[in-house]
Amino acid sequence: MVNPGKRMHILKAKLLDLRHGPGAAILPPEITRIHLDFALRWNDGHYGPRYAGALTLFPNGEEVCPISTADTVPSFPFPPHRKFWKICLPRLKYWNPAIPMLVNRFADQSLPATMSIYFRKAEEEAEATGRNALPLAQQPHSSTEGEHPAPPPEKGERVVTIDMKGVHSDAILAEFMRKTGATAIHPTPDEEVEMRQVEELRERGAVDRAIMKQWLDNKRNQERMMALARQEAEAIKMANQ
Amino acid sequence: MAYTHQCIASLARLSLASATRPTTTSTIPRYLAPSVVQSRWKSAGTQAMQAKEREKEKLKKKRKQNRFKDYKHAVPSKEEQYSLCDAMRYLRAAEVGRPPKSVTYEVSLKVRTLKNSPVLRNRIRLPYPVKNDTRIAVICKENSGAMAEARAAGAVAFGEESLFEMIRKNSSNLPFNRLICHSDSEPALKKANLGRILGPKGLMPSLKTNTITRSVKALMHEMVGAENYRERIGAIRMPIGNIQFTPKMLAENVKALIAAIKENITVLEDRVSKDLIEVVLTSTNGPGFPLNGGFSSTDEKVLPAHLSTAM
Repeated sequence: MVNPGKRMHILKAKLLDLRHGPGAAILPPEITRIHLDFALRWNDGHYGPRYAGALTLFPNGEEVCPISTADTVPSFPFPPHRKFWKICLPRLKYWNPAIPMLVNRFADQSLPATMSIYFRKAEEEAEATGRNALPLAQQPHSSTEGEHPAPPPEKGERVVTIDMKGVHSDAILAEFMRKTGATAIHPTPDEEVEMRQVEELRERGAVDRAIMKQWLDNKRNQERMMALARQEAEAIKMANQ
Repeated sequence: MAYTHQCIASLARLSLASATRPTTTSTIPRYLAPSVVQSRWKSAGTQAMQAKEREKEKLKKKRKQNRFKDYKHAVPSKEEQYSLCDAMRYLRAAEVGRPPKSVTYEVSLKVRTLKNSPVLRNRIRLPYPVKNDTRIAVICKENSGAMAEARAAGAVAFGEESLFEMIRKNSSNLPFNRLICHSDSEPALKKANLGRILGPKGLMPSLKTNTITRSVKALMHEMVGAENYRERIGAIRMPIGNIQFTPKMLAENVKALIAAIKENITVLEDRVSKDLIEVVLTSTNGPGFPLNGGFSSTDEKVLPAHLSTAM
């Protein structure tokens, strides 16, 4: 078992990351569900909503923006502006746990990548009707086989869509915030202190790692030199015999 | 007779030696110093101090002896634990957008135990099974009462020689994932020499795994939807629920599992002492949360109903 102090530092950093950053926002109560449709792979402009490896050039010759927002999302090792699903959606889900957020992925890259946001008309109050009345197993769920495309709006619902094809996740988030009227969440002073502590630990770790690496390198170097010297001595001995 | 150059050489060596090895700084030559003069001795101390020293040595030795006998464990403090709904909220956020079929809640129970003690292992039937694909085959005497029972309870394969033959023939593609044996057929099973095939798959019936029985019907009923658990390196890890489970369902599953394991520990109590230290809830791709036994969320706005929506 990992030592609990270390484990808790890691967990704290992960949870802070899950709570705060791009996508941390509380949605207005009239939003009933969010549905994302995009392809399994990132080709043909599907890079915005989903994760993609650190490639510098897309097939259509478009260059990826430099990693400018890297300091806002430091724990992700990959460029953060291409993955709405992986970066923003968990935070949205954390702050709005009751809203179903489904991701429907499919194999056909040529289809559009859209986000559908379902709004309830203000006068009709929320009650379990239609889709939500079904048992969980029969409700639409996230899928990798395109089983559940965005359903048509129910009675008293309207749908707002965002086209995500060929758009970076920052742009998607900006449009999402504008269209939903969500209120962004900012860390409390306590959490800011915690975030600073996490950052300090990370810096400290980097320094320690560098020192350790130098020490190890020195040791290995010396060992190599010794081995070389021993080999030479052996060779001389053999020559003398 | 010595040659002159030899003498010179030896003289040179002498002079060299005296140069490299500096003489002691003390002004009194060593042979003049009285033998009682000593630089410093460790003081013997009083008797009580000596006893204390001895006690310390003993403790050190004991600690050294006990050092690697039990698995390393640590008890986390209360502040580092989470209630079930809090943990679920985080885990559901971490797993958002993943197909529910491929994501499960998992639980890891840390047990304080000696390395050489008997392990906790048993079968448990969770109130809400995680998956339900148990296919049972029964080894029993042909045309016996047990065979009729097996057929009635829905076994996918049964018999004695015919079943052995089938296992030998297509060992790579067996139609069942659980194998039980009627105690009358046990000698036949031993004679059939199937350990080579069944052993690595973990299917070999044995008393230890509780898969040899007198009553086929009762065992099959117990096995349908049951999960095996086993303590490995001081921890029991097993899937505890689908990501679509409601907090209540998950709580019941966790409670059932912990109750079963505590009972298991009390059964072993006269032989070894074990302790359940910690219950950690995690999911396929999420972080792990030590549970504090509480249910409701620390945030009053988040109700269990909010954590039961579609994923």
